[in-house]
Amino acid sequence: MRRLGYSVFVLLGLSVVVFIIARLVPGDPARAALGPRATQEAVEALRAKLHLDKPIYVQYFFWLRSVFRGDFGESLYTRRPVIEDIREFLPATLELALFAGLFMAVFGLLLGVLSARYANTWVDNVIRVLAYLGIATPAFVVAIILILLFGMYYEVFPTIGRLSPGISAPPRLTGLLTLDSLLSGNWVALVDALKHLFLPALSLSLGGLFQEARITRASMLENARRDFVAAARAYGIPERVVIAKYLFKPSIIPTVSILGLDFASLIGNAFLVELLFNWPGLSRYGINVMLRKDIEAIVAVVMVLGVVFTVVNILVDLVVAYLDPRIRLVERGE
Amino acid sequence: MKVHRVMFSIVLVAGILLVAGLGWADSAKIVRFTEAWPTYIDPAVAADFSSSVSVSNLYDTLVFPTYDGEVVPHLAESWEVSEDGLTYTFHLRKGVKFHNGEELKAEDVVFSMERLLTIGQGYSYIFKPIIDRVEAVDDYTVRFHLKKPFGPFLYALVRLYILNKDEVLAHIEPTGEYGEMGDYGKKWLLTHDAGSGPYMVKEMRLEEYLHAVRFPDYWKPFDPNAPEEFKYIGTTETATVRTLLSKRELEISDFRQPAEFYEAASKLEGVKVAKLFGGSTFFCMMHNRKPPTDDVHFRKALAYAIDYDAIANQIFPGARQAQGPVSFILPGHNPEVYQYRRDLEKAKEELAKSKYADKLDEYPVDLVWCAEVPDEEKVALLIQASAAELGIKVNVIKTPWMKIIEEVATPETTAHMYLIFVSPHYAEAGSMLQSKYHSSSCGTWEQTEWLQDPELDRMIEDAIATVDKEERFAKYRKIQEYIVELCPSLFLIDQPENYAYQDYYIDWTAAERAERGEKVNPVMGYNHYMMDIRVYPEKREELLKKK
Repeated sequence: MRRLGYSVFVLLGLSVVVFIIARLVPGDPARAALGPRATQEAVEALRAKLHLDKPIYVQYFFWLRSVFRGDFGESLYTRRPVIEDIREFLPATLELALFAGLFMAVFGLLLGVLSARYANTWVDNVIRVLAYLGIATPAFVVAIILILLFGMYYEVFPTIGRLSPGISAPPRLTGLLTLDSLLSGNWVALVDALKHLFLPALSLSLGGLFQEARITRASMLENARRDFVAAARAYGIPERVVIAKYLFKPSIIPTVSILGLDFASLIGNAFLVELLFNWPGLSRYGINVMLRKDIEAIVAVVMVLGVVFTVVNILVDLVVAYLDPRIRLVERGE
Repeated sequence: MKVHRVMFSIVLVAGILLVAGLGWADSAKIVRFTEAWPTYIDPAVAADFSSSVSVSNLYDTLVFPTYDGEVVPHLAESWEVSEDGLTYTFHLRKGVKFHNGEELKAEDVVFSMERLLTIGQGYSYIFKPIIDRVEAVDDYTVRFHLKKPFGPFLYALVRLYILNKDEVLAHIEPTGEYGEMGDYGKKWLLTHDAGSGPYMVKEMRLEEYLHAVRFPDYWKPFDPNAPEEFKYIGTTETATVRTLLSKRELEISDFRQPAEFYEAASKLEGVKVAKLFGGSTFFCMMHNRKPPTDDVHFRKALAYAIDYDAIANQIFPGARQAQGPVSFILPGHNPEVYQYRRDLEKAKEELAKSKYADKLDEYPVDLVWCAEVPDEEKVALLIQASAAELGIKVNVIKTPWMKIIEEVATPETTAHMYLIFVSPHYAEAGSMLQSKYHSSSCGTWEQTEWLQDPELDRMIEDAIATVDKEERFAKYRKIQEYIVELCPSLFLIDQPENYAYQDYYIDWTAAERAERGEKVNPVMGYNHYMMDIRVYPEKREELLKKK
């Protein structure tokens, strides 16, 4: 609860900073939105509507008042309420980030465990080399390679959009196409959505995935030397059980912490992958609104990212507390 | 056991994905093209390239632009112009249906113009200064009353797209900013159309694509091989565009790709690159009120020093040196107007006549290029090098577009020179002359010259008010000579738009005309008019099978 309280102040501070920065960037947002040839009356009307003719603290007051009413203003880029844009584009990015996160968690842990289990063998060496490559290669480079590979040579996975033309989208319940397809029993759309997700999620996840693998490996090797593991082995407990029950759980604590941070940054960093795969997500939308000085949308996108980051951090703290009894004991003052 | 079950599930899912991935073939008569997002399909908002392409296919206009720069009857079967050039009366075609089946009538035309002027966005800037009022004389007769004579009025009307009044009114959000008209249907028209054009919106996924299909009740017959549908894909990412092109899932690329893309694309079997000149001219605008570019001899010295061939052939391959301020493709261009060419001797002669000849060190020149257009830097450096040959020091400055717009607003904050592309508002020389050199455009990015020449203003106003076309064009030609003599800007190149397209299985009229050396449609967006394209899916299948 205390963390939650702090988060409110963090978000408020973030809103002030972003609000000021968005307005200090050179250029008239109204003119940028309406184009150089729009009539002066139209530009002035838009400036008045955005309260740009008032001092910045008054503008902030109006903005904050609207936000408390659930109104983030109107996007100058899409010409509709920002809240509608966020509703439309956030699920696409969340879905992408969730699948990328899933790849990172499953394959990162799997490779980490394999690497630790077979430390200093060829298996470990191969995984380590792959990890260096994966971490060093930016997601957009991976995306381009995958697009060229699967788009031009092995046409297995689609390279643009979320759904193929001709496939009817499931009724919108959550905005996550896979989940909506599943809930509505639209198996064709489910398979098609999964196919569309595969390449962008893979490109986005590779860096984090190998980072998770490296951390898991290091943590497992460190814990393997601890007394409680030696004791378990001394009791004659089978090695598989030692790894799964005594070694794995404490070793993934640092991985989970990093995974949480990686997941939160995926949402902000996905823009190049979204751009390349023509993925209609919030990250790409965020970049587009920044390029057009769409002030209301910029602030809203940054705030949404801030909220996601905060929520994920709190969730990570809870998971880590569950995994690490020492934290729970400290919290209780024991 | 558990591990085996998990492995089995992974293999099963992967298998389903693989099998499902193999089936997607498209045999429909479809034209897909890429372009930057967003596209606005509301005619009162649309004004950029992508939006113009969209609305020209979804909506109809009273007159239609032809490839030779003329207009022909379209929704209007005939018209009369009053003696004083202030009243235009149009007789509408009967039986034209909107996409919802309702008939198009004169009141829809009145509504469309009033809506455009009230909203004040899109192409309203063309009509705002000239339209007094519009009236529906009867169901099939509409009359425009002008505030002042405007010679190119018929040509400007290709930007008045007719909406279905009843349908728009039925979709108004009451809480809008236009009084009793609410939001004037703007929200609904973001993703729907209310037009009568040859194609109608089937689906619009924001940030992804616009998918439109043939309107079966269109008043003009379709060629059997005209596209049954078109899809505007909202991306310009090179890797994506190249992949789609090679998979034959893209018929026409956007024109925003690097030179390497076009080179690679032209090597694909059945793909060609079309170079379409759309009327855009690349200028180096010079501040005519700030020393040393306020001196005509100084400006002419620069005009003679520039290596135009290097810009047209090396930096922008396929471009051609501009001849004066009006692109050669625009009706009203003067093909006889003087063209500055690189001649260092003449440049030195002109510089010697300049009042700054002996004090060049005291007057360095700032040259600004737009940060969003990397190729402009090469041009800036080339101008810098050419000027250095005359002993003129040029400071090259990279500036974001938004900052440029802000700094050119006053003569004091405007730099000496700017590299900027300018396109005409409507397809006639008068548009370029007015927006580039009339005093009313000072303070906008279209005129950073601050020319403010009363004689030139008078000549432009007089030409534009001339209803007789031949007389008007003669006046345009004189104005071009006057401007070239003043040399307020460096007229660098006429810029073509390059498109990679599937020559093997589509016939694209604009590309074929360009290949034959004929003019393409000078009205932005109309070279992508889908009724002028033919698609042969069986030939596409041939290419796919070969692969």
